[in-house]
Amino acid sequence: MVKHPPSKNKLLSLIWGFILSFIFILPVEAKVFNAESFKLENGLEIIVIPKKTAPVVTSMIWYKVGAADEPQGKSGMAHYFEHLMFKGTSTLAPGDFSKTIRKLGGNDNAFTGQDYTAYFETISTDKLAQVLRMEADRMVNLSPPPEHFASEKNVVLEERRQRTENDPKGLFSEQMLSALYTNHPYGTPVIGWMDEIKEYQWEDVKKFYDIWYAPNNAILILSGNITAKDVQPIVQEAFGNIPKKEIPPRSRTTIPPSIGSTTMVLNHETINQPTFQNVRIVPSYAENKSDSLALQVLQEILSGGPTTRLYKHLVVDQKKAISVGFSYDSSALNDSTLWISGTPAEGVSLEELENLVENEIKNIITNGVSDLEVKEAIQRLQDAAVFVRDSVSGPAMIFGQELTTGSTVEDVENWPENINLVTPQQIQNIAQKYLDSENPWRRTSITGHLLPLSKSSAERKEDLK
Amino acid sequence: MRFSILLFIILFAWHSPAKASEKVLDIQEIKSKSGIKAWLVEDKSLPIIALKFSFKGAGSIHDGIEKQGLAQLLSNTMDEGAGDIKSQEFQKILSDNSITLNFSAGRDNFGGQLKTLSRHKDIAFNLLKLSLTQPRFDEEPLERMRQANLARIRSSMGDPDWITARLMNDKAFEGRPYALNSGGTLESLPKITAKDLQSHVTNWLTQDRLMIGVMGDINKDDLVKLLDDVFGSLPPKGSTDNLSSFEIQNTGKIYLYPQEIPQTIISLALPSIDVHDPDYYALQVMNYIFGAGGFGSRLMEEIREKRGLTYGIYSDTTNLDYTDFFTINTSTKNNSVKQVLDIIISETDTIKTQKVSQEDLSNSKSYLIGSLPMSLTSTDKISSILLSLQLNNRPINYLDTYATNINTVTNEDILRVAKRIFNPEKMISVLVGKPEHIENTIKIETLPNVQ
Repeated sequence: MVKHPPSKNKLLSLIWGFILSFIFILPVEAKVFNAESFKLENGLEIIVIPKKTAPVVTSMIWYKVGAADEPQGKSGMAHYFEHLMFKGTSTLAPGDFSKTIRKLGGNDNAFTGQDYTAYFETISTDKLAQVLRMEADRMVNLSPPPEHFASEKNVVLEERRQRTENDPKGLFSEQMLSALYTNHPYGTPVIGWMDEIKEYQWEDVKKFYDIWYAPNNAILILSGNITAKDVQPIVQEAFGNIPKKEIPPRSRTTIPPSIGSTTMVLNHETINQPTFQNVRIVPSYAENKSDSLALQVLQEILSGGPTTRLYKHLVVDQKKAISVGFSYDSSALNDSTLWISGTPAEGVSLEELENLVENEIKNIITNGVSDLEVKEAIQRLQDAAVFVRDSVSGPAMIFGQELTTGSTVEDVENWPENINLVTPQQIQNIAQKYLDSENPWRRTSITGHLLPLSKSSAERKEDLK
Repeated sequence: MRFSILLFIILFAWHSPAKASEKVLDIQEIKSKSGIKAWLVEDKSLPIIALKFSFKGAGSIHDGIEKQGLAQLLSNTMDEGAGDIKSQEFQKILSDNSITLNFSAGRDNFGGQLKTLSRHKDIAFNLLKLSLTQPRFDEEPLERMRQANLARIRSSMGDPDWITARLMNDKAFEGRPYALNSGGTLESLPKITAKDLQSHVTNWLTQDRLMIGVMGDINKDDLVKLLDDVFGSLPPKGSTDNLSSFEIQNTGKIYLYPQEIPQTIISLALPSIDVHDPDYYALQVMNYIFGAGGFGSRLMEEIREKRGLTYGIYSDTTNLDYTDFFTINTSTKNNSVKQVLDIIISETDTIKTQKVSQEDLSNSKSYLIGSLPMSLTSTDKISSILLSLQLNNRPINYLDTYATNINTVTNEDILRVAKRIFNPEKMISVLVGKPEHIENTIKIETLPNVQ
């Protein structure tokens, strides 16, 4: 670990300050957020998003490492490590990070995904320099006292009980993803499997920290009433003298094709309302930008509100469903997911509703969508981009998630224009390519039935006859 | 419990002790020709207008046992067609113009929000007017919303957090309207008719109960005209009720709803004080130090940080129109329930017998006063604050005097308010799960007001 006490290296930071004055701040053309970006010599990328409503700034540092980068058998380690980032450095006592932020009138937290780990603080703008110094400190000086390893492990076990073990639906979704992502880390839950969480030690975790936590593997996003010019000196002072590291490539295993259909069934005493879910792999934005944009518009056409296809046809007109969902997640480094879900109306079986949804999709594969539907969907998506600006932390979340999963600043800023290029023909094409159940894209989808304990799916069907 | 969420937002304070001349928010109090009042903060930085309104005392408190869920079903149905415009057409206009218009029922109040791009403001305000004054309550959307609510209840029935909240409401408010299921029951929802919904509108959605907060890209003159147009034709007065205040019930009892899950949900409640009580500010500071502050709060320190017994533990204060209470919520694996409960009780003893340190006192004030700007970062948040200040009958300069009020709290005040709140015999406990080593529990086999 590189020791980085803030008081030393004063000379060095002066030198860096001098060099920095030659770094240009590149303004991105006036788009959704009008963000500015610049980079330090050590590779740290900084995005500044102006938002002047209140004297508040959200600072988020996103590390380009997540649960999918864990070594085999150490599931949940990236997330456990995220917890330990609050447990002290060579100059800060365990727990004092958050306590200091509170004292300054701010809030902080962190989260871990498959492809990223992010730490954030929202605070009065005049306190930003101090917050950034603390954030820089834990990028290199983390040293939690050993007595905290075990107690924090117990906290994570309680977190897993609360989020997953107490909820059979949570456990079931985990198992569906596990079946879908054969041979790929996305099939392992971010929080980790119970038995593996219990096993790993600080040595394993420290190795992970030493490999991945470095300025050239991070993006700092600052959103609030600030400009790049304001923050440049304080970012430089906080992070400028942390050396860069050689970051290994993120080698991810591939997902083999599959044949046959998979339907998983859960009958459970706590389930009183039958529902179905269906999940398949589709390309993320990083993998196929134009198909991903078309999938986003297709999602809006199918389930972008109470007047779009699935709800209008199945809930309002045919009365076969209480709700129907079609949800595409575009942000992932590797293959992403598309979830279809449905809650049947009383007297309708899961299979019947599944078939009706399937028919809606087949209809698009065969007949395409209308020009008007596409135009209206795009207009709604573009309007949504205006509402996203009405927040300080929201835009920082979007940039962080997109930039750590293969998008560029331009992709984010130009999203309303890019989405505008999607055509009805493209939508029909991607529906054929990714949604045709008779000719699945690489892998067949996984279906899950959640049912009450008393009756199996087959028995319910019998009842209806 | 939308009201308590709004209230929670104001409990945060702002940036720096305001100077006499400096306002936290530039709030204008406006009154239309027909007497409709609103609080407005103009802001042109984004082309967005957010309006939140509430009819005070018009919420699910009037549902009655036979029609539980009435106010909620009304809130789901009021945006499903009005005037000559039927449900799907109404929703299509909203969606084509990216207008958010929805209604919500709290226990006490019935309200809603309108959020629109300023270029669509005339359409947006007109749809709001229609839905308030000429809701259709057609059979098709009413039935659809009813079915959605029934499915929601069936989906929630296995959720331990939902079970905990249901049981706590039933027992803590026993004998009062708050004890009923404001989301409705499987039996009550089918009994609610379009006529019931219309009566609730006529009886309770009246001008004398109306409060409005507006934030965003609209000026005073335009707003005055729109307010007259939208709300001017509502009846000036409607029904009245004769409910009275009460303290939470069944204190000293421990209720257990057994569930086969590895972690027990723990919910505790104690009677608390009114928003206008002289100790209100002391309670905010005490609550922050005790359990509301997240990391650094005493409960989080002792139970999560030192012992790893939970993922989270929080205390909170809730003020309803007819009762006030203090809650503590957490969850822990079944065999640590006793240990967690013992630590909570021991922390209540500590804070009511030992003065908090000057450091704890100043750190908590520093957070409460320093964090207000965080609640002023969007049109939604600001319009919510404007509304909740009015619902709590606060003066328009409330935010400007908040820092001074928090700063005057002493550690003697905290000791006094902790003594007022933390009387173990006044605590009601609800446990859902399979807790070990807990004695004298009252087992609940069937969850009330669900079927």
